[in-house]
Amino acid sequence: MQTFATEAVDWPDTATRLRDQVRDLVAQHGERDPVRRANSWTKPNPAFSRKLGDAGLLGMTWPKEYGGHERSQLERYVVIEELLAAGAPVGAHWIADRQSGPLLLRLGNDRLKRRWVPAIARGEAFACIGLSEPGSGSDLASVRTSARRDGDDWIINGQKVWTTGAHISQFMIALVRSEAGSERQAGLSQFVIPMDAPGVTVKPIIDLTGAHEFNEVFFDDVRLPADALLGVEGEGWKQATAELSLERSGPERYLSSMVLFLELVRYAGTRTDPALQQLVGRLAAEAWTLRLMSASVAAKLARGEDPALEATIVKDLGNSYEQAIPQLVQAAVDFGDADAEVLRAVCFYLLQVSPSFSLRGGTREIIRGIIARGLGLR
Amino acid sequence: MSDTRRMLAEMVDPLFAGMGAAAIVERDLARLEELGLPNLLVPEAEGGFGGSWLDALTVFRLAGYHALGIDLPKLIVKRAAVADTKLSMAFARACQIAGALDAALALSIAYANERQQFGRPLGKFQAVQQSLASFACEAAAANCAAMGAAQALDRGNAEFEVAAAKLRANRAVEMGTSVAHQVHGAIGFTEEYALAPLTRRLWQWRSEFGNDAYWSARLGSKVIARGADRFWRDLSARTDHS
Repeated sequence: MQTFATEAVDWPDTATRLRDQVRDLVAQHGERDPVRRANSWTKPNPAFSRKLGDAGLLGMTWPKEYGGHERSQLERYVVIEELLAAGAPVGAHWIADRQSGPLLLRLGNDRLKRRWVPAIARGEAFACIGLSEPGSGSDLASVRTSARRDGDDWIINGQKVWTTGAHISQFMIALVRSEAGSERQAGLSQFVIPMDAPGVTVKPIIDLTGAHEFNEVFFDDVRLPADALLGVEGEGWKQATAELSLERSGPERYLSSMVLFLELVRYAGTRTDPALQQLVGRLAAEAWTLRLMSASVAAKLARGEDPALEATIVKDLGNSYEQAIPQLVQAAVDFGDADAEVLRAVCFYLLQVSPSFSLRGGTREIIRGIIARGLGLR
Repeated sequence: MSDTRRMLAEMVDPLFAGMGAAAIVERDLARLEELGLPNLLVPEAEGGFGGSWLDALTVFRLAGYHALGIDLPKLIVKRAAVADTKLSMAFARACQIAGALDAALALSIAYANERQQFGRPLGKFQAVQQSLASFACEAAAANCAAMGAAQALDRGNAEFEVAAAKLRANRAVEMGTSVAHQVHGAIGFTEEYALAPLTRRLWQWRSEFGNDAYWSARLGSKVIARGADRFWRDLSARTDHS
């Protein structure tokens, strides 16, 4: 048996040119402060997102008819790995570009596509995902937010929580119960909810670093037209979980602490310390391996395959890697050194936020359960 | 996988499975020679198989998978007259580790599904599932690393990739061997059961041709000398078409 069928990734001929384009853009408009470059896909910067939109680097694979650029999946992969490796502030558009746009293109009616997709590609519309609720985290099938019909319209009531970027988003794609009395995976549907619709209230949740990334979102008799339904009524569970498997293996699953590794390399260059050399070697080997794995999954996705098990493996390994880096750096470096100041600042920031790496996008325990099922454990 | 490589795998897999850990040079080498396997990397012009490093990965990995008792990879590398024997052998051991980990994983999963305790198969217990999932991740990483190194060897300069692959494979041995034995319980501890030849080799190969300390220091000092600002550029340039 071979759990992870690897093969050569045929990197696009345009890769070098795309990398140069991204590097120039980040050098001009990116963040200088290494702390702000850590975990950068959660850092919103709408102005930077618009620059990417202007440069044709959002919605890269989408049809030109909807504002896309009809580039290949691997060209997009090159761009996003460059952005993340450089710690560019891509948080504002990340979710919309990664999954909401593709989901709308796949399942949306023409009105939804025309309203949102071109604006995402311009870097002007951002999206949030309404999944978790107060009683519904890893057990996603227990959602209670409801949609009920009223004539042709839908009326939404309930609450979402831990909604990343709800305060800067123009719309949410929410998983809600559209069939009263239904249970678990049945009777769920996805809706596209404009965040400025009457009855939508967003309240901030401040995280342990003092940052505002999460929100509570309340729906109080929010009236939506019939065509706000995304895809097929009652198929929401299947639609939402298919979306999740696409987001598991991207380079954001292993690069969140890359800036700290690079600062470690810089620091190690100022002294001769065999322990630091070995640590750098070990972390470099892991980065190289994870890049191969993540790109290999991207290549399979590009060919229309569904490498669900491989994608889940990449997420588990990648999260463990980006989570281990701050712990290993803290253990190896004397933060009392005057020249360790930058390293210390980035490290302490990442120590605080890194517990979230194995929670977001599916907890480690859920992810390993999915892997176990994929292995045929029953 | 190319057609010739698939044919190579289809030829070698049952052959190695039949010979297994009990293979000995005196009895079994002749058969391997008949098939031209020791000359896998010798150019066709010199009467060899003219294989690529990706072909070598296929053979090395299957030698690991079946814990082949003959050190065929060593023979192949010796006949290939490579510039850097240690590097080539480190690659070979990384491939063998990748194969042996997959074999130990397959045994562990089959055993967990079959062995009943407390009225249900071991594989039903979440604690066992989580361990095996982590094992699978490590086996996957070792296999991908071996593949990445093979591709780099076929492109040319592969010192970074082989160092990284051997190091990554070495590290995977730790979790692979411990979870495999933990899941198997006492039966894995017997001479008759198929796990021991695999784990014995895994521990051996981790030490051979550079242990973790050796490759991490060698890799780390190179990365540090190139500098922080070159790391990602170098990494991406290695795979992009020039």
